[in-house]
Amino acid sequence: MKRLQAPFDENAIRSLRAGDLVVVDGDVVITAGLPTHQRLMHCLESGEAPPVELRGQALFHLGGYSQGEGERFEMLYINPTTSTRFNPYMPTLIEGFGLRVVGGKGGLDEHSVEAMRKVGCVYLSFLGGGCTLLSRAIQRVVEVGWPEMVTHYRLSRINVNGLGPAVVAIDAQGNSLYAQNAQTAGSHSGEVLAGLHAQARQEKTQLS
Amino acid sequence: MGTISSDLLRQVTAELYERSLKKIPEDTKRALAQAKAVERNQTASQTLDIMIASARAAEEENHFVCSDSGVPVYFVKVGTKVNFDGPVKQAITDGFSDLVATIQPPMLAHVTNPLTLERGYAGKDMPITTFELIDDADYVEITCSPKALGSGRWAALEIFTFPSLEDIERYVMGVVLKAGPQHCPPVVIGVGIGGTFDYAAKLAKQAMLRQIGTSNPEPVLADMEERLRQAVNATGFGPMGTGGDSTAMAVHVDYASGHGFTPVAVCFNCWINRRRSARIHPDGRVDYFE
Repeated sequence: MKRLQAPFDENAIRSLRAGDLVVVDGDVVITAGLPTHQRLMHCLESGEAPPVELRGQALFHLGGYSQGEGERFEMLYINPTTSTRFNPYMPTLIEGFGLRVVGGKGGLDEHSVEAMRKVGCVYLSFLGGGCTLLSRAIQRVVEVGWPEMVTHYRLSRINVNGLGPAVVAIDAQGNSLYAQNAQTAGSHSGEVLAGLHAQARQEKTQLS
Repeated sequence: MGTISSDLLRQVTAELYERSLKKIPEDTKRALAQAKAVERNQTASQTLDIMIASARAAEEENHFVCSDSGVPVYFVKVGTKVNFDGPVKQAITDGFSDLVATIQPPMLAHVTNPLTLERGYAGKDMPITTFELIDDADYVEITCSPKALGSGRWAALEIFTFPSLEDIERYVMGVVLKAGPQHCPPVVIGVGIGGTFDYAAKLAKQAMLRQIGTSNPEPVLADMEERLRQAVNATGFGPMGTGGDSTAMAVHVDYASGHGFTPVAVCFNCWINRRRSARIHPDGRVDYFE
């Protein structure tokens, strides 16, 4: 198990390989909101600073229940959400903010893989249904951006200790476990199903 | 004739939801342990260990297994010998509101208006409730099956004309391949064949809720379930999609007669396999089961 410590060192990130198991320490930024991604896109287009600094940071698709106001927020729990629905935005956000680590569940498409290879970024697969375990890593809320949004859409920076374990599912060399599996899934399963039907037909013929 | 109170229905409605969020069913724990025993991929094996640990942690801390508590879905079977002392649909709506108001930790807002995309804790036609009758029974049975992304997003249905079994199975695999690992595998897959558009979907959802490890009484379907289970696990998506042998814990199929046009519906329940049921008796006894 490797430990990734924020602020993240580019070489350390680039040395990770798909399949590595890691935990994360330090400050990370989380959100589970589609509108949040659209607002971040707007920030990049207009040059407006996002409410929470993202340059070189970790941005995770983790939904969190935060409550409080002003400087006093607490995060009751966190859990990953489906990253693929952010596919249209992530390549731009990864390159635009030079994100060093992204993650969630379900992976990202080939455009993000390419953006990650370019900037030196990895994707971490967190356990869906890992709410209790992952929440144990929360140390404190550092800051909450866009607090007017519903809690899991907010852009929250939290300090974590031992967040994970998570699997490096896309590395900075362009290797994606999701892409590898998707490539062979159809042919492998198709062969198995056709084989089972051929076998069933043969058994039927033998019986008659 | 026994009478079942609205108040009790309301309490059970809330209780079922909370139980489904905080404890995964025992059959599912066994299925994960079995998957772990035969898994050849090291990353997958580690992920299965973390899943088992996560389920245990939620149970110990009385916490959520997943933060996406989903939207409330209930299947209610009413015995024809049952009397109610008050409203039934309202009791279920109020039960869910009670849960939202009292559950600890608090739930995130997932009920979404599809026209405005606004999210809250209540909305039109929520909770989604399906009623059925059980002839001559004096009890009510309620099943809660919360629906979120992994447990709802990847379902699909298509209508065929006089399909062969192979046609049906190829379609199921098409849905499986399109879903990829997005539903938090290893999943339970429900398949409904026949009936009509709406009925096939209901069959699939109810088949999905069947206990893992129980066999299909229909030999043709038992064979189909085994073929599909092997084919789904041959995809190699694996636990959480990072590769491995365990993509489906079970495939459950049910059918109904229909016209020659044959709907085939496919749905998924993510690895935490959220579901909880209760039988409410007229004397006020409540038997909870998974």
